[in-house]
Amino acid sequence: MSAATPPGGQRTLQKRRQAQNAKEKQLKQTPASTRQAGHGGSSNSILKVYTDEANGLRVDPLVVLFLAVGFIFSVVALHVVAKVTGKIF
Amino acid sequence: MAGFRLIDVVKPFLPLLPEVEIPYEKVPFDDKIVYTIIAALIYIFGQVPLAGVSKDESTVKDPIYFLRGVFAAEPKTLMEFGIFPLICSGLIMQLSAALRLIKVNFKLQHDRELFQSLTKMFALLQYFVLTNIFIVSGYYGENLTIVQIGLLNVQLVGAGLVAILLSEIIDKGFGFASGNMTIETVVIATNLVSDTLGIAQIKVDEEGNTEARGSLINLFQGLRSSNKTFLGGIISSFNRDYLPNLNTTFVVLAIGAAICYLQCLRVELPIRSTKARGLNNVYPIRLLHTGALPVVFGYVLLTIIHLIAFVLIQCIARNDPSSIICKIFGHYESVNNLLYAPTFPLSLLTPPRSFANGLLSQPLTFVVFSAFMLFNAIWFASKWQAISGSSARDLAVQFKEQGITLVGHREQSVARELGKVVPVASTTGAAILTVASVGGEFLGLKGKAAAMVIGVTSAFSLLEIISVDYQQSGGQSALAQVLGAPGRF
Amino acid sequence: MAKPVEKSENNQIDKLAEAPLEFVKEGSQFLNKCKKPDTKEYVKIVRAVGIGFVSVGVIGYAIKLIHIPIRYLIV
Repeated sequence: MSAATPPGGQRTLQKRRQAQNAKEKQLKQTPASTRQAGHGGSSNSILKVYTDEANGLRVDPLVVLFLAVGFIFSVVALHVVAKVTGKIF
Repeated sequence: MAGFRLIDVVKPFLPLLPEVEIPYEKVPFDDKIVYTIIAALIYIFGQVPLAGVSKDESTVKDPIYFLRGVFAAEPKTLMEFGIFPLICSGLIMQLSAALRLIKVNFKLQHDRELFQSLTKMFALLQYFVLTNIFIVSGYYGENLTIVQIGLLNVQLVGAGLVAILLSEIIDKGFGFASGNMTIETVVIATNLVSDTLGIAQIKVDEEGNTEARGSLINLFQGLRSSNKTFLGGIISSFNRDYLPNLNTTFVVLAIGAAICYLQCLRVELPIRSTKARGLNNVYPIRLLHTGALPVVFGYVLLTIIHLIAFVLIQCIARNDPSSIICKIFGHYESVNNLLYAPTFPLSLLTPPRSFANGLLSQPLTFVVFSAFMLFNAIWFASKWQAISGSSARDLAVQFKEQGITLVGHREQSVARELGKVVPVASTTGAAILTVASVGGEFLGLKGKAAAMVIGVTSAFSLLEIISVDYQQSGGQSALAQVLGAPGRF
Repeated sequence: MAKPVEKSENNQIDKLAEAPLEFVKEGSQFLNKCKKPDTKEYVKIVRAVGIGFVSVGVIGYAIKLIHIPIRYLIV
């Protein structure tokens, strides 16, 4: 069995390089965050949650702003009603 | 079926979850500023008192008073829980996805969308659970009627949804970068102004004497006050403990100035272009590479612990010192009829109400609290810098794309060289920021120190993005011209 | 037989004790390498952040002032 390759040499180097390539490839294939996948999102000092347009009840931002103010005023109105009728429901 | 995945849970709820549309085209710089400010102002406007709360004084006081500043929460208003659920779900979901506790393939659009919806649903669920924890505990009064309970649920969960959507508007590109951090920063800045210059008169004693909320205004009022001596007015404005005093204001300002200094610290790595000769420059790696997020994460964990303790002690054991749960975890003592201060084991994770008080009654807290916060911040920083897409490896890829390399290193070893700097910067920065906020807390700032640390650091992170955006828009901004700030960033 | 076990335990404890020391050492080395801002740069940054923070705060507080009459109305 003198054909056994001596340790070291080209083949080992090749193997090492292959192993490293495979490792790097794997790391690249499974990104840990949206930004690592290249689609924006949280960065090192910023926490960002909403980057994609998911399925759901689509709403326009202006509508959201108006509804938010409306919601707050409805709570104020609730207070006024409670005071006028003099009951805590 | 390739196994159960948590992100599929959200599928049946998708048609019900509101989703802000992504802008068709890039939103102009001025519109972004307007959207950002209006969204944040609506949030502040949302700090309206809750309707349907029992009029009688409840015996259950605020158990998380020292955490409110950090999460922009105001007690007994619509924003009772602030944006804690948003930040908590955002941080924890992204962290567990990166640590492969939740299976998500971020390369697939479908997976990313589901993950995002799941984060939103988790936040909404937290609002619902927190609301009912507080209702059951008796925080809003004992013996609430069904109608009152229903109303409180509608108001608090509705307000939660409003907060989520406001932050989503900013996140989606109508504002700058991050809705959570924008809202937090604006609220923290507002609180600072209201604590210093607030003119709202608040009743401070039985006779109906009032004092201003702002510490500086209070000083001026104290000088002219009829029911206090000249000297007494001055002394009281420096050390009153029921409202913001001048001492805390100074400490908070000093912390802000210190953070500005820390923010300037950076290691500058010399870089050169691989394409053109003689184009040398430096690439800065900041000490605060991970910004305020490690401190925020520490506070998220702290809040979770305190909320669980609140459920155990108040909802289950009814704060009865003789029950077994209270013997193990401690119980609450009401302070000034405003706050709930926990006793022994739990007090270890509660910052003292004043430095002297802490030294006398809870000396162990200094050690345990700082160790807890430090450990969490460092652990989080070391993980986050690797997963958030700004790790040494990601930077190396960016370098390659832009055709730059570190001076004196081959392109292949750039990642390794950066790997020596980035993690150390992140963890060291996180540790120093934590020391600043914990140190401030120990002086009895009740959450204001941490809020200031987070506010100023986030402001820097946002300012960076805003200035990049401003330059990209070519400095074409009517607002900037009106304000007289021609590209000063 | 007891000896090697004890030794490895000692090693682990040593490692645990060393970790914070190592951390502090690396951190302070990093701090030494850091470029510190000079007074002029620092003052400029503090002023920019101060102005930004206070102006945003004042706008926010203006909204908060609306709450005072509302509270008066409803309480």
